[in-house]
Amino acid sequence: MESIRTIFDIFITTYPGFLDAVIITLQLTAISVVLGTVLGIAFALMKISKSKILQGIANLYITVIRGTPLLVQIMFLYFGITQIVVLDNFWAGALALGVHNGAYIAEIFRGAIQGIDRGQTEASRALGMTNNQLMRRIVFPQALRRSIPPLGNQFIITLKDSSLVWMIGVAELFSVANRAAASSFKQFETFIVVGFYYLVLVMIFTYIVRWYENRLDVDKV
Amino acid sequence: MIIGENIHKSFGDLEVLKGIDLHVKPQEVVVLVGVSGSGKSTLLRCFNFLEEMNSGTITIDGHTIDPKKDKLPDIRAEVGMVFQHFNLFPHKTVLENVIEAPIIVKKMDKAKAKQLGLALLEKVGLGDKADVYPSKLSGGQKQRVAIARALAMEPKVLLFDEPTSALDPELVGEVLQVMKQLAEEGMTMVVVTHEMKFAKEVADRVIMLDKGVIIESADPKTFFENPQNERTKQFIQLVE
Ligand SMILES: Nc1ncnc2c1ncn2[C@@H]1O[C@H](COP(=O)(O)OP(=O)(O)O)[C@@H](O)[C@H]1O
Ligand SMILES: [Mg+2]
Repeated sequence: MESIRTIFDIFITTYPGFLDAVIITLQLTAISVVLGTVLGIAFALMKISKSKILQGIANLYITVIRGTPLLVQIMFLYFGITQIVVLDNFWAGALALGVHNGAYIAEIFRGAIQGIDRGQTEASRALGMTNNQLMRRIVFPQALRRSIPPLGNQFIITLKDSSLVWMIGVAELFSVANRAAASSFKQFETFIVVGFYYLVLVMIFTYIVRWYENRLDVDKV
Repeated sequence: MIIGENIHKSFGDLEVLKGIDLHVKPQEVVVLVGVSGSGKSTLLRCFNFLEEMNSGTITIDGHTIDPKKDKLPDIRAEVGMVFQHFNLFPHKTVLENVIEAPIIVKKMDKAKAKQLGLALLEKVGLGDKADVYPSKLSGGQKQRVAIARALAMEPKVLLFDEPTSALDPELVGEVLQVMKQLAEEGMTMVVVTHEMKFAKEVADRVIMLDKGVIIESADPKTFFENPQNERTKQFIQLVE
């Protein structure tokens, strides 16, 4: 009982600061998913291209990113990049998350592109379209639509993974909570509260993704 | 019109077409029959270079195509194809399906393409479906859209690969009706089908393919009433 009261009190006293931190977490997530999408498209195109060199570069990138911990990537990028350019912690974190996302999103796009029925390319060819035309007009638009649900999931994963950038001092939700926990000496209760924040955010976005998936099913595209 | 000569095609060790000669005259309707796996689809696909031949030539309107020099997309634009599974573009409306290639490939003016598309949809009996998406159509309607889409490129010849095989029986008639109308209007057609009634009524010539070889080629009456080859006789008994 005492504990529940404490949790509630902590919730009340921390929420102004936590809400600001939620905004930063959402910004980090959104920026890194957008950056990841740009990188993902580029690397997916390299992977399906005919050039062995481009394929090799894309494979290397995807293998390295998927084969190392995100935390290592964040530290590596932070200490690497800040030696070359002046970049604040927020942007360094967003960049690291974005580069990380790029590898996963590249695989999402590649899968979506290769998942388009062969009949679509055959019909396009039979109508006289060149490879470029049929990719641009027929394959990519359909693949993009099918990528949106997995991209939504990637967004949700990133929302949670973004907590790792507290290591480089970005004032996102986890690091603000961590500070609040330390100063109040109520670690257990504070982390229950911050867990609740993540849970609610994730549930909202899960609901949106599911809503879109259902709409896709109706359209059958 | 369109001439295939000495067409050979293998997939690995499997020789699927063993030297096919097929001359299709202008306005002729050729029906291609044969058991599953005899090479009918592969032959059609060689005609529009969806499949690369091992040897042989395709001649369209007196021009023998050189796959190395000629631009294959330009050749394919002249040879229409209708598929068993329609292969409509699900992200485009019915009208957009029909006018996509004229606009993109032929660089036709949008307004003009739209006019052409609507006229073709009217022709296949789907003028009222221009703005719906393919997922809202029945199989028979989808296939009629696919025919309109092929016609929009004003092809010199139309290839049909089992256009009614994926349809519920009650929807077959409406597609065959459209094909019959095209034949009457003088469209040059090569049709792979198991609809023997269509072959008898519409074909100028029926050809039997067996293990990659043409074993029978005759007008429909002779083909069905007086076939020469044993395998043809068996096949006719099987499908009738
Ligand atoms: N892309 C391919 N790769 C390997 N084998 C193929 C391919 N396409 C067709 N075949 C084989 O070629 C033979 C003829 O196929 P197909 O032309 O589709 O026959 P049909 O249309 O008369 O049923 C079959 O044995 C089939 O398995
Ligand atoms: Mg076939």
